[in-house]
Amino acid sequence: MKPFSVQSVSVRRIHVWYALIVLVFAVFVVRLFYLQIIRHDHYKAAAQSDQYKEYEIPASRGVIKAHDGERVIPIVLNQELFTVYVDPQLIKDKAKAADALVKTLGGDKAAYEAAMQQDSRYEVVAKKVTREQKEALLNHKLPGIGAQSQEYRTYPQGSLAAQVLGFVDDSGTGRYGIEQALNKKLAGKPGELKAVTDINGVPLAASEDNIRRPAIPGKDVILTIDIGMQKQAEQLLKQGLERARSDSGSVVILDAKNGAVKAMANYPTYDPAAYQQVENADLFVNNAVAGALEVGSVMKPITAAAALDMKVVRPDSTFYDARQIKIDDATVRNIEEDGGAGTKSIADILNLSLNTGATWLLMQMGGGELNRQGREAWYNYMTNHFRFGKETGIEQGYESPGTVPSPTEGYGLNITYANTSFGQAMTATMLQMAAAYAAVLNGGTYYQPHLVEATISSDGTREDTKPKVLAKNVVSPEVSKQIQGMLEYVVDKHHFARQFSDAYSVGGKTGTAQIASPSGGYLENEYNGTYVGFVGGDSAEYIIAVLVNKPKIPGYAGSRAAQPLFGDIAHMLIDNFNVTTKTR
Amino acid sequence: MRALEQRRAQTARPSRSSVALVRRHKPDYVLLVLTLILLAVGLIVVYSISPALAVEKGVNGGQYVTRQLIGIGLGLGLFAVASRIPIHVWRRVLTPMLVVACLATLLTLLLPVNEEYPAHRWIRFGGFSFQSVELLKFTLIVWLANFLVYRIEKNLLDSFQKTWRPLLLVLAAIGIVVAGLQSDLGSAAVIAAIMVAMVFVSGVPLKRVLMVGGIVLIGVVLFIATSDYRRDRLATFMNPEANCLSTGYQACQALIAVGSGGMAGLGLGNSVQAYGYLPEAENDSIFAIYAEKFGFIGVTVLLGLFIALFSRIKQTADRAPDEFSRLVVVGILVWLSTQAIINIGAMIGLLPLKGITLPLISYGGSSVLMVLAVLGVVFHVSRYTTSQTARNGYINRGDSYDNSRNGRRFRGAYNPAFGSRR
Repeated sequence: MKPFSVQSVSVRRIHVWYALIVLVFAVFVVRLFYLQIIRHDHYKAAAQSDQYKEYEIPASRGVIKAHDGERVIPIVLNQELFTVYVDPQLIKDKAKAADALVKTLGGDKAAYEAAMQQDSRYEVVAKKVTREQKEALLNHKLPGIGAQSQEYRTYPQGSLAAQVLGFVDDSGTGRYGIEQALNKKLAGKPGELKAVTDINGVPLAASEDNIRRPAIPGKDVILTIDIGMQKQAEQLLKQGLERARSDSGSVVILDAKNGAVKAMANYPTYDPAAYQQVENADLFVNNAVAGALEVGSVMKPITAAAALDMKVVRPDSTFYDARQIKIDDATVRNIEEDGGAGTKSIADILNLSLNTGATWLLMQMGGGELNRQGREAWYNYMTNHFRFGKETGIEQGYESPGTVPSPTEGYGLNITYANTSFGQAMTATMLQMAAAYAAVLNGGTYYQPHLVEATISSDGTREDTKPKVLAKNVVSPEVSKQIQGMLEYVVDKHHFARQFSDAYSVGGKTGTAQIASPSGGYLENEYNGTYVGFVGGDSAEYIIAVLVNKPKIPGYAGSRAAQPLFGDIAHMLIDNFNVTTKTR
Repeated sequence: MRALEQRRAQTARPSRSSVALVRRHKPDYVLLVLTLILLAVGLIVVYSISPALAVEKGVNGGQYVTRQLIGIGLGLGLFAVASRIPIHVWRRVLTPMLVVACLATLLTLLLPVNEEYPAHRWIRFGGFSFQSVELLKFTLIVWLANFLVYRIEKNLLDSFQKTWRPLLLVLAAIGIVVAGLQSDLGSAAVIAAIMVAMVFVSGVPLKRVLMVGGIVLIGVVLFIATSDYRRDRLATFMNPEANCLSTGYQACQALIAVGSGGMAGLGLGNSVQAYGYLPEAENDSIFAIYAEKFGFIGVTVLLGLFIALFSRIKQTADRAPDEFSRLVVVGILVWLSTQAIINIGAMIGLLPLKGITLPLISYGGSSVLMVLAVLGVVFHVSRYTTSQTARNGYINRGDSYDNSRNGRRFRGAYNPAFGSRR
């Protein structure tokens, strides 16, 4: 047996080795039992927390459209751009990945590499990447680089009506203007996705645990704005401000018969596509809606309308103007060009812009003197008929309601109320002024000023905005005609660079408003020029409200700065927008 | 009958080199069937995760299946060829094989590395890549079998000068090249296991085995301790879940895949971990994906299939007609089993991660090719096994003279030593 001893060990040792293999496999089975059966719940949970992701499916934001003559065209659109991210865990060759990024997207290689060093699984390396760039990048087929689509607003009309539109910030929230006011409608409702996904977050079709609720796209909004009118209004505003050496101002053009805003311009403005570059957030504000100010003498026709409607004066009533009225220890004075002391009519009050006349009108409301009865009557007209001190509810962010002083509480109520009769000591926005004029001139119906003509759901359902009546019988139809006539008379008596054709009725009133000083009292030598007027045929068709802040040319801000701008805009409307002509 | 055979065997007094005359008979088809089943399992897993691979790697998923099919086809071709090459031909071509293996290894060290796997391990041609270490393993097995058979015959097994020194030198050289220069610790471990097992099986005294084993162990500890990278890998292994986002990422994801499989698995098409979570899902990590899909039941079956395959190889080694064949088959058994153990052990958190494939299951050309080729060698040896397993220190050689079932003695008898039929 001896010769085979070596061999015998050899075969036995094969068995020993094989037994070791079997033993190891047995240990493996035990270990697998531990992992897969005993610890199954733990690993299942770990897998879920890795694999199961909850997503919001972004809803496509509604587009904003406006009138271009007969057509309705978009002025705010969406553009799909891409956010490129890296998953540092999955990137094998950082230099190569960074090179691919530089090659397709440009940018700094070191910055890309730094992002890839992060101890995270999601690092954004580029935003607003075009589809072409994204596809060129993904064609490199590098693991760990991905792109997500994101919608951005684009503005085919550039900065047109920027403050009216507002913008959409990085988080997808509308800021300022229509975007803010109608954010909910425009944004739609994001969908929801809960799903087992691959490592890049792409849902795997297989899992039955998936929950998918599709996004509801936002509604499209059609504005009442006419693009052509808006464009020209913006242009004329800019020219008017340059001419008056003013650095800011606003224009509102309102449809007198239903409150639709046809144009609303502010200067200076900004480019909503590049809102991030705007340093001064004041530029975002639509001052025609958000900026309440003491409007000045443009208030006088409203005071006259109230007095006429209360029947405390008649259209042919007159009074003796002593050029000043003492009220308690204050004095209401006229401007120098008031035609001298003498008997004046209501039309004269407007034409000559008599502060004493406006005060006289207020006194008539109190039975001939400044008293609580008169104040309360005027307060009632201001707030309930003409809706000062209340938001109009126009679809804009940050609307200001303006202020109307209380008729019963406070000091110096009589002088304060005398001031309100000619547009001081109370504030209103230019939109409120335009809306109040519209109510006076259209026969007495206060329509809510609005910018949205209709919304269209993603399924095509169109929902028209019905003009909303906020106040009826603001003034009687007779008073409406009387005020229209007086305003036409004022325009007739004032000099415009270009005369208006007799075929149209054009009327309006200037205002040279004192500016409240932050330190109390009023600023010296600085005024805001305002003008509110109308153009139309037999009745007012468009209400035009103009504001020129602190013009630096000599003369009254209302007549020298705001009135010419009103004239330009009235001509623009007559020339280009088929204002109906008089029938009589 | 048995007694008669025993007597005949003794009277025949075959030499120590066991050059026996063994009649060629039916090969071990069970071995072939097990091989094909394992290949099919691997192919099914690769096929089922190919959509995930397509998504994650941005390639056409079908190419994985196609390429795996090509690899299997070529591998089965090699299997057929190897199963027809007389075992001792390998001895004769040993020198050219050594030259080719060394040149191939040298080539991998000189060729530029691939960006995806920056290690000097591959030779690439066309779309395929080949790991030189696969060739090295087989060459080493043939060389070592030859080396040991000579020393068994000359009774030099316990000679330091003639046996231990050259063995340790070869082991050290391979360690430096494979573990050091190619940083392929997994393959180095497989090679070390092959060498230890073959020397062990060749019958060296047990105390020597333990002594040398101790020296090798110290060497391995020193090797790991002297490199930050290797220390990190070890630390990762010890506590993978603490490093889930960095070094332990793959280990963690493998455990999640295995553990989330549960008893019955998520089902063939439902692996989630293959979708980019678990790196190397089609390759080194394929066991974890399999475990996720088929659960504890599935992995038990798979481990059973492997054990069955190894048992057939072991049986072939047991009954091998001569020492050379036996040692070659043992080398192959240790190769495949160690590789499976290292791969699976890493996936279930019992061993540190090594870049090593699961034989017959993993996607990858060179692995499948070489595994099938060496199984072809086993298959060949299985044609010449003696009819009974050597038991109790005794190998029945008699049947090589006496196994003619129809009484025609010596018909078709074959002396493997000379590789030709009589």
